[in-house]
Amino acid sequence: MQLSRSTIMRLLAGAVVVAMLAGCAAVAPAAPAAAPASEGAAAAPSVEGAEITVDYMQSGTYDKAAEALKADFESKTGAKVEIVTAPWDVLNQNNITDLTTGTGAYDVMSGEFWIATVFDKMLPLDDYVTRDNYGSEFIDGIWAPGPSNFYDGKRIGVPYSADAYGIWYNTEVFEQCGVEANWETWDEYIAVLDTLKTCLEGTDVAPMVHYFGQIEQPAAIFLGMYDGYLVDKDGKYGLDREKAVAALNKMQSLLDYNPEGVLGFDFNAGNAVFLNGKAATMVGWPSFIRADADNAEKSQVVGKWAMANFPGPGFPMVSAWNMFISKDSANPDAAWEWIKAYANPENGTKWMAEYGIGSPFKATYQDPALLEQFAHFYPAQAANLNKAKSLPWTFAAFEAFFRNEGDFHQGKVTAEEMLDNVQKEWDEIEVPGALVQLAELQGLTQK
Amino acid sequence: MAPSSTLKSPASGKVKRSGHSRKLFLKILRVLVLTIACLAVLIPLAYLVINSLKLQADMYTTPPIIIPRRITFEHFQTAFGNPKTLRYLSNSLIVASVTTAVTVIVSTLCAYGLARLGLRARWLALIIFVFLFIRFYPRITTVIPYFLVMRDFSLLDTVWAIIIGHLGITIPFVTWLMLIVFQDLPREVEEAAMVDGAGPLQRFWRVALPMAAPGVASAAILTAFLSWNEFLIASSVAKRQAQTLSIAVAGFVTDKGIQWGPMAATAVIMIVPMILFALFVQRYLVRGITLGAVKG
Amino acid sequence: MTVANQPAPRHRRKWVHDWPWMVAFVVPALFIVVIVQGYPLLFSAYLSTQDWILTNSPSSEGFVGFGNFVKVAQNEVFQRAVRNSIIITGSAIVVEMLLGTGLAYLASGSSWPMRIVRTILILPLVIAPVAAGTLWRMMLNSQMGLTNYLLSFVGVKGPDWLGNADWAVVSVIIVDVWMATPFVFLVVSAGLTGIPFELHESASLDGATRWQSFLRIDIPLLAPLLLLTLIFRMLESLLSLDSIYTLTLGGPGYATFTMTYYIYTLGLRSFNLGLAAAASWLFMAFAAAALGFVFWLQQRWQTSQ
Repeated sequence: MQLSRSTIMRLLAGAVVVAMLAGCAAVAPAAPAAAPASEGAAAAPSVEGAEITVDYMQSGTYDKAAEALKADFESKTGAKVEIVTAPWDVLNQNNITDLTTGTGAYDVMSGEFWIATVFDKMLPLDDYVTRDNYGSEFIDGIWAPGPSNFYDGKRIGVPYSADAYGIWYNTEVFEQCGVEANWETWDEYIAVLDTLKTCLEGTDVAPMVHYFGQIEQPAAIFLGMYDGYLVDKDGKYGLDREKAVAALNKMQSLLDYNPEGVLGFDFNAGNAVFLNGKAATMVGWPSFIRADADNAEKSQVVGKWAMANFPGPGFPMVSAWNMFISKDSANPDAAWEWIKAYANPENGTKWMAEYGIGSPFKATYQDPALLEQFAHFYPAQAANLNKAKSLPWTFAAFEAFFRNEGDFHQGKVTAEEMLDNVQKEWDEIEVPGALVQLAELQGLTQK
Repeated sequence: MAPSSTLKSPASGKVKRSGHSRKLFLKILRVLVLTIACLAVLIPLAYLVINSLKLQADMYTTPPIIIPRRITFEHFQTAFGNPKTLRYLSNSLIVASVTTAVTVIVSTLCAYGLARLGLRARWLALIIFVFLFIRFYPRITTVIPYFLVMRDFSLLDTVWAIIIGHLGITIPFVTWLMLIVFQDLPREVEEAAMVDGAGPLQRFWRVALPMAAPGVASAAILTAFLSWNEFLIASSVAKRQAQTLSIAVAGFVTDKGIQWGPMAATAVIMIVPMILFALFVQRYLVRGITLGAVKG
Repeated sequence: MTVANQPAPRHRRKWVHDWPWMVAFVVPALFIVVIVQGYPLLFSAYLSTQDWILTNSPSSEGFVGFGNFVKVAQNEVFQRAVRNSIIITGSAIVVEMLLGTGLAYLASGSSWPMRIVRTILILPLVIAPVAAGTLWRMMLNSQMGLTNYLLSFVGVKGPDWLGNADWAVVSVIIVDVWMATPFVFLVVSAGLTGIPFELHESASLDGATRWQSFLRIDIPLLAPLLLLTLIFRMLESLLSLDSIYTLTLGGPGYATFTMTYYIYTLGLRSFNLGLAAAASWLFMAFAAAALGFVFWLQQRWQTSQ
């Protein structure tokens, strides 16, 4: 096999990332070694006979994984597990209603920063983590506050999935047009799109595709282009106006490179364009497409696509589902055992292949066999994950942003007017304490 | 419930009309309009069925695939392979049938009672108004109080919590619909029955109800469909055991897009029992013509 | 004939000794609706005067009187949502009423083709609104959807249905019409079967065309039912959420963000119980006015006859 230059570059980049991750692991505090894992397990109280209820989003991935784990967990621990699943909105709604009314129906809850308003009702997990010497196997960026959920400086969540906004591209088209995916900034990426546009003139292949019709999604592109604060000095939501206007206008210019009708494309439609080979690059959630793109039955780009660097100066938005233990749980010990059984490197690697759940563990991205098989994906994905950040927005704040942004895409308002409208809505919103802390920890607060 | 056959009216009201061509034109127009309407209904539904048999890769193409070259039953296998689907199905059947039965019985009686109680107009209007007010209050806002009530009565996660919630929506409508129907019925027939010594229950059952059959039939269809497809109430009080198919369908809209195959398959599964029910009830939709025969 | 219709005094005397029976008939429904459903409603009336965000505190943080109402009414997003709701519902129900009534009239009769047609025409009611929304989202995709593909056969280049703010509104109306016309159709069909043939026969002997007898006989006889259907459809359409949620998510931007969507985000996303309840009661004030108007109309129509 002849190695092309870009392949070598990718391998090199991969090696750098792996070395980096390994380095981090080595530097990680060695103190917990004093309490070996086996001893820690022995110290754990028996959970025999305990009954716990765990909830996951009804997605055909996280919930399926839980079902697959259930029998083994029950026979090993003697505890009984009930798995409850619900659509995204209903899951959040159930968790919040349960916590605020003190119903206590769920021991282990799934969620992200969207339920930050109830983070104070989650059990701190630090004691468990120290006792069992847990956590060193996660990608450092994912185990850190942000992707991992914290309240008042204490860990409350354990991440079990990890995905970061990314850009991937069609290697065949890139070769034909003589361009390379080596951008560091959005301006460089747009320059590549310009070249692609000229090169692809007259074909039915678009330089770029994104699901603009999934109206909450373009905000992630904005965050990639914007490098200002998200929470102002007074602890309220705000944006650096000048930088935000520039980012918005840059973002609007991306529409020129998308296929016709893109403002109506949802996840399925956007993904299909790339999978059918009708787009040179795509911006979105890699986990939505990775498994399908490598499956010849669903994709025409098998072996012809690769992940690229997510350009700056902003950050790739992270999606990391966390498991929490409710303070109302009657069986926190059994709940913790479930969390450990669910979130570990072995499952992470297996489920990434089986269900497409983005693994939050280093081992998945270091496995030599996998690295070779997924050289087009793992290194770049690991690098993006490591610099990804979690949004400090409540859903109301997010909604105010993406709806006004939609008006802006439609040409109904200018970027400046849009920001005024957003700010007006934000002024009414109180930022939950957990999210102010989150913004500070990730450097997203106004200096 | 079926009216006795002796009361059946002439098969159709044929009308003599001059202008043969005009009549033909109107007939063609009628057929044309009905055909277009049926197509407008059937095309999206057929597309849903086709999608339930398509491979994932054929779902989104330009142009769309109307007649797939390759079909698959994997989505139905996935749907039926999941043991929960059968539980959802039986929950849905229980919820819809109990809701429909209770609604039709209770509301028809109530409407008949209201129609024959001889209440003053403004009292009648007030009762109906209160009913409708409760009916149309946005359920989104009562979800949390309703959740708490059901929790305190230990009904959370039971089909009863869903059924009671649905009854609050269906009873007011059916009561109003049947009230209008009963008020339209001629009193003479009932009065004749009264003279023959029939009590209130007999008059309701033997006389009024058969004449009101088309109204009852449409009410039953509308109630069953609504209860079968209702999502908000069901999802807020049913977390595990009591979940219904409508919640399952919504579950295919995930944070990673729509799982089209399984969703279409489940939606198709959901359609079948309701179509059978509608076909069964359909026949009562034309029997109400007894009314004319009685009056004449 | 209408809600306000009364038996003549002569009749009333004859029927009056049945009243214990009739009360017994009325009570179960009254119990289920008023007692069981009334509590959450009263509770929400209380909520509308409270400063209570469930995620901030497990109990109310104080009485604010009409503060919540003022806050909601002055909110620009709410005003916009109300405007959207009026446009969407207003257009949808006009189409639904005309189409539903017309089709019910055309598809009446007991012949087997008409039975089949009637069964087909109520089918959209069978689809879960969530599924209908997603189905149409797929159908209306500008590039990969069936709608524009079929339009291309008749030489029409279909618009970007869901991507363009104005066409998105049209899309929501189309889906509402597709889903709800069968309701009108079904109710009116039932009403038509109750109209005595003799009335048509005598009219046709007088030389009236079918159309004339439809206008002169059926419509007046059906008026109460049509009003009921109209008001029900209006309030139902204003309350509908599932289909808009899956079709457009209220977008693009705020284009199809309706009042119910607004209440939803307040209530079940932000858990602002006070504001959500206040917004709901504002809606109910409107609904009550609409219902009151219909009742008044019926009464007037009744006395003028």
